[in-house]
Amino acid sequence: MDPATSRPAVVIDNGTGYTKMGFAGNSEPCFIVPTVVTANESSISQPRTSAIKTSKLLAQHSAGVMADLDFSIGDEALSRSKSSSIANLTYPIRHGQVDDWDAMERFWQQSIFNYLRCDPEDHYFLLTESPMTPPESREYTGEIMFETFNVPGLYIAVQPVLALAAGYTASQCEMTGVVLDAGDGATHVVPVAEGYVIGSSIKSIPIAGEDITLFVQQLMRERGELVPPEDSFDVARKVKEMYCYTCSDVVKEFNKHDNEPAKYVKQWTGTKPKTGAPYSCDIGYERFLGPELFFNPEIYGTDFSTPLPDLIDKCIQSAPIDTRRALYKNVVLSGGSTMFKGFHKRLQRDLKKIIDARVVASEARLGGDVKAKPVEVNVVSHPIQRYAVWFGGSVLASTPEFLTACHTKAEYDERGASICRTNPVFKGIVFAYAAACAFMYSLQEATNSLKR
Amino acid sequence: MILLQCPCRYLLQVLTTRVQNLEKGVELDCQWVEFDDVRYHIQATVKNPNILLLSLSLPTPPPETVFSGGLPQGAIEAIKAAYGVVLQILDPPRDGFNLTLKLNLSKLPPDEEHKQALLVKIASIREVVLGAPLRAVLRQLVSRGVKSNLNKLLSLVHRPDESFFVFPQVDKATVIFPMRFKDSIDTVLATSFLQEFVEARKTAGLGNAPPCLWSSSPPQELKGAPEKALSANAGFVSFVIFPRHVDGRKLDKTVWSLSTFHAYVSYHVKCSEGFMHTRMRRRVESLIEALDRAKPDLEKDDQPAQNRSFKRLSLKDGRGSFNSR
Repeated sequence: MDPATSRPAVVIDNGTGYTKMGFAGNSEPCFIVPTVVTANESSISQPRTSAIKTSKLLAQHSAGVMADLDFSIGDEALSRSKSSSIANLTYPIRHGQVDDWDAMERFWQQSIFNYLRCDPEDHYFLLTESPMTPPESREYTGEIMFETFNVPGLYIAVQPVLALAAGYTASQCEMTGVVLDAGDGATHVVPVAEGYVIGSSIKSIPIAGEDITLFVQQLMRERGELVPPEDSFDVARKVKEMYCYTCSDVVKEFNKHDNEPAKYVKQWTGTKPKTGAPYSCDIGYERFLGPELFFNPEIYGTDFSTPLPDLIDKCIQSAPIDTRRALYKNVVLSGGSTMFKGFHKRLQRDLKKIIDARVVASEARLGGDVKAKPVEVNVVSHPIQRYAVWFGGSVLASTPEFLTACHTKAEYDERGASICRTNPVFKGIVFAYAAACAFMYSLQEATNSLKR
Repeated sequence: MILLQCPCRYLLQVLTTRVQNLEKGVELDCQWVEFDDVRYHIQATVKNPNILLLSLSLPTPPPETVFSGGLPQGAIEAIKAAYGVVLQILDPPRDGFNLTLKLNLSKLPPDEEHKQALLVKIASIREVVLGAPLRAVLRQLVSRGVKSNLNKLLSLVHRPDESFFVFPQVDKATVIFPMRFKDSIDTVLATSFLQEFVEARKTAGLGNAPPCLWSSSPPQELKGAPEKALSANAGFVSFVIFPRHVDGRKLDKTVWSLSTFHAYVSYHVKCSEGFMHTRMRRRVESLIEALDRAKPDLEKDDQPAQNRSFKRLSLKDGRGSFNSR
């Protein structure tokens, strides 16, 4: 019996902002680290001009092994780049796509050997990708995994399908639904029917976590808050994660803030990095204006102005007609940027408003003879939104079908990297899957309070 | 990172977060696997936030290695000596695991430094348990008492179904690793990597390092070992350890480095493959640049998309003609 099948698979979800990695069968990832790689001093002292390729290759060779392995990823990388004068962070994934394969390979190498500390030859791997990735990207990933790490088996899953799996409850195991995946780099609205992504109906918006952070930073700067400039992005991000919430009505919220400042305006205290002196600033309107970007994008810039509920509605309307009711019934949220308090209620309310208006208009046109069945709108939210994709991957990789659906090293050796272009969707045994989800879901509730 | 770290990173993270949030104890039930098939399982309940149950499963030993009571020789004594009252061994161990320990967080030393050091030591439980027999042998080199088991070949497990050999003598101990790799490319890279060990030993600054030898056939100290243990597709590496390598604090580091030698070589072989890929990609980029110069007129916006798919297709062609430095 192949020993690799008896060990839990490794699930790595590489996102633009954060990477979630861990072993299948667990209810939460072992590590959630920012997706960033930095080269340390000894490797950046080599000249990296792209002018003369041959001399660069020689220089790398003479630098030796020490320089090449001296890099770090994640939080260590961020703290090292802060302390050293040379800022040389590389973000291998931009807007959901891998841009820099060298950095990505190094990132995987560090995460497998330094963080997870597992032997890649012993485990099947489940990686994730954004729905818009070209097939060449999957081939490239397969090449790196099979050639460098010698993994016995690989499955590259699409993130929205895994997010759907995480939204299950014990009784309901729908593989049909719309996934709103709002991460740090990209926000996609992806309809999935019976486990297959309806590619032509995928809509994406250029607003994601990073843009909200920039907006919060801009608001704070415009108001003249005394935040040291080199820290302002970090502070804005922390403010966003800790204090932002979604309101139900912007105008009323402004009034609430103005009438009761003591209740709504929060304080942020920090220390200046250079002098160590403490400072504090107020956090006011940006608390609700940040997440409001999703619902009213025109407050940030004029190039994009479709609010999110409209976009979801457009997306479902462009999907095949027989799937639409099921899609409305199961709108699943995933990704860190959907975790604002009140986000799902607001989204559900706005979406229902659009649909109700349409139903009323159509009934008026038909003269009141034919009454349509009311459309049920349900936005599903659950505590593991932050790593819903990882969780779905963990559950999927613990089902027995996973091993048969993976591409194995033997197949790779025989037929080449093109096998990785397609990854068949498999429905985990519905019953065992639901039971597994319910069990892990209950463990979730408790574990999450610790993370917060 | 050049050397493999000793403490288990995830375990250390779990312990540190738990210790910092002792009042907010939450449910925890997690299992994970480390290299060389060492499995961990940790469990904590809300009822007793101070108690953590940690289970450890070790690689299956080959027939020539002896495990007493499911654990390597001397492991239990080593655990008691290293951890004192904080860890308690539970018998019988959890189903499927070799060892289960009850960790009592309330018995940790109160001051920060000692507490952190002890947590790091707990996260290095793997080294304490698996390295116990090797540590006993090496400690004998430095101790002045009666030495036992001299000139007898001792086989210790380091990977599932594989062992390495230690040949203790009065004034030195020879550690011999038969190196095996599953993949043919790995074997070739490992063989040249290991031969470099011998070369590297001759560098000026490394005079105090243990003498190192590589041979493709079993060295003479392994005369008494069983046949199956002597097949190695990447040769045999032997290190001779002298007392100066294991006195005081160096003992821990030496034991860890020797126990995880195979994992270390395997890690560096994979890093070299990654490094070669980087060089191959750069070479492909430079070749494509040359090709682009030859094209008559190119629309600017087509270029990046074409480059991407073109790059991938030619990488496979380039691999066949790869010619190493």
